[in-house]
Amino acid sequence: MDTLLQILVNGISVGAVYALFALGYTLVFSVLGVINFAHGALFTLGAYLTYLGVGGAVGSNGALAGWALPLALPFPVALLLAGAGCALANLLVEAIAFRPLRRRGAEPLLYLITSLGAGVVLVNLLQIAFGAEGYALPADALGDLPPVLSLAGARIRSVQLLLLLVCAVVMAVLTVWLERSRGGRALQAVSEDAVTARLLGIDSDAMVRLSFALSGLLAGLSGGLVGLSVSIAGPYFGIVYGLKGLGVLVLGGLGSVPGALLGGLVVGLAEAAVPGDLSGLKDAVAFAFLFAILLLRPQGLLGRPPISKV
Amino acid sequence: MPDGSLLVQMLIGALLGLSVYLPLAAGQLSLATPGFMTVGGYVAALLSTRVAALGGAEPLYPLPWLLLELVLAAVIALALALVVGLPVLRLRGIYLAIATIALNEILRVLLLNSSWTGGAVGIFAIPQPFGDPLGYLAALLLLLLLAGAACQVLAGHPLGRAMAAVRDDELAASCSGVDSFRVKLLAFGASAVLAALTGVLAAHFFNTWNARQGSFDASITTLAFVVFGGSRLWLGPVLGGLVLTALPELLRPVGDLRLVVFGAVILLGPLLFPQGVVTPALLQRLPLPAGWRRRLLP
Repeated sequence: MDTLLQILVNGISVGAVYALFALGYTLVFSVLGVINFAHGALFTLGAYLTYLGVGGAVGSNGALAGWALPLALPFPVALLLAGAGCALANLLVEAIAFRPLRRRGAEPLLYLITSLGAGVVLVNLLQIAFGAEGYALPADALGDLPPVLSLAGARIRSVQLLLLLVCAVVMAVLTVWLERSRGGRALQAVSEDAVTARLLGIDSDAMVRLSFALSGLLAGLSGGLVGLSVSIAGPYFGIVYGLKGLGVLVLGGLGSVPGALLGGLVVGLAEAAVPGDLSGLKDAVAFAFLFAILLLRPQGLLGRPPISKV
Repeated sequence: MPDGSLLVQMLIGALLGLSVYLPLAAGQLSLATPGFMTVGGYVAALLSTRVAALGGAEPLYPLPWLLLELVLAAVIALALALVVGLPVLRLRGIYLAIATIALNEILRVLLLNSSWTGGAVGIFAIPQPFGDPLGYLAALLLLLLLAGAACQVLAGHPLGRAMAAVRDDELAASCSGVDSFRVKLLAFGASAVLAALTGVLAAHFFNTWNARQGSFDASITTLAFVVFGGSRLWLGPVLGGLVLTALPELLRPVGDLRLVVFGAVILLGPLLFPQGVVTPALLQRLPLPAGWRRRLLP
C-alpha cells in the first residue's frame, strides 16, 4: 500500500500530463469551437521524435528498421525539437483536415470526423515506420540528475518533477500570454466572435494557425516527457491518453484553461488512489468522471454554460 | 478464407454501417456501435456457453435459444443506450461522440477485468446454430432486409423527417415543434439495438468473442463505412460496409495499409465527397425504373 504522500506525488505528476493534454484540446477548441481528435496522434509523434532525437534506433519490425540519427542530442534539445516538429505537423493537420471545412462553413461534426481520420493516418504511418513494438528512452537521458529522489518515505522520480515543472511553466506562460499580451487577447477575441474580430483587423486565420501550432507544441512536449517517464507502449499509446484527455477536458469544462488543469489533477489523483488489486479498472476512472459531470454539471467544473441564440 | 465467410463478414459490415448511419441521420455521431456489438456478442457467448450448456447432446445450437439471445441482447443494448443517452442527448453538439468513446472504454475495461466474461482471452467454443456459412448468410440477410425496410419506411415517415430536420438545424427544428431530444434518443436506441443483434450473430459465426471487438480501431472502421457510403440515404452505409469489408481481403498484398486507407477515407471523404458515394444526385442519374427512384429518394 502506498503512503498518502506517494499517492499525491504519483497522482499530481500523471494529472499534469492529462492537464497538458486537455490544454492542447482547449487551445483549439477555444478558437474554433471544435475538438482536434488528431491530438493523441501528435502526442505519439512527439514521443517517437524525442526517442529518435536522443539517438534511439528503430526496432526490427518497422519499415525503417535499424535506422537512427547519426548523432545523439541531449534530452532537452531533442524534446524541444520534437515539440517544434509536432507544431509543424499540427499546422499540416489544420491545412488538410480543418481549413477546407472552415472555408465551406461546415458543421462541427465533420471536423470531428476529418481530424479523427488525420490521427488514424498519422498513427498508422508511425506503426508502419516504427513497427508495433514499444520503445524505452535511455534511463540516463536526464544526464547527471539522480533518477529517484526520496522525500519522507515517498519515491519521487526526477522525470516526475520535470513533468510538473514543464506543466507549471506552460500553464503560467500561457495564462499570462492569453490575458496580457496583444496576441493572446487577439486569440480570445477570435474565440469570442471570429467575424467581429476580423472586422477589428485581427487576422483570424493566423490566430487559428497559432492555436494549432501551440497545441501541437504542447502535444509534442508532453509526448516526449511521458515517453521518458513510462516508455512508449507502441503507436497507439497516444490515443489512449487522447481519449482520457477528452474526459479531462469535459470534466474541467470545454474551453477553460484553469478547468483543464483542475480536471487533470482530479483525474490523476483519482487514478493514483485506485488500490493495487483493482488497478485494471484505473483506465475507466476518467470516463466515469465524464459521465458524472455530464449528469451533474454539463458545462464542466469551471466552464461557462453555453448560450444558444437564434 | 472461403468466399461464404467473406460474404458473411460483408453483411456484418453493412449492418454495422446502418447502425452508425441511424444516429448520424439525426446529426449525432455515435462511436459506440462496436461497443454495443460487443455487448450483444457477450450476451450470445455467455448464454450459449454458460446458461444453455447443452453439452453437445444436439448437433446444432437450437434456434429458440438464438432468438432468446437476440431479444435479450436488444433489451440490454437499449437499456444501456438509455443510460448513456438520457443525460447526454439533452445537450447539443458533440457530447454524444465523446460519451460514446467513454462508453466503449468503460465496457472494454470492465470486460477485460471480469473473470465471468473470460477476461482478456474472452470466450471460446461458442456453439453453432447453423451448419455452414449459408445459414449465417440467410440470417444476416434477413436482418439487413428488415433493417433496410425499416429505414426505407422511416425516410417517408414524420419521424424520419424530424431526424433530418434535427440534423440540418437542431435549434430550428426545436423551434418548429420537433422534440429533438426524443428524436435523437430514438435514433441512438435503434443504432444500439441493431449493433447488438449483429453482435449476437457475429459471436456465433466467429465462434469466439473477446473485448477487442469493441476497440477504437473498430469505431474507426465502422465510421469509415458511413463516410465512404454517405449518410443521406440508407443504401450508402450498406454499400460502404459491404465494399470496405471486402476491400482489405481483395487488397491482401497491401497488408498493413488497411487502417491507413480507412483513416484516409475518413480524412478526405468529407472534403472531397461531402455526401459520400451514394448520393441523391447519383440515384437521379442511374438508369433505375422511375418507381424505384421515387421510393429510394426521401
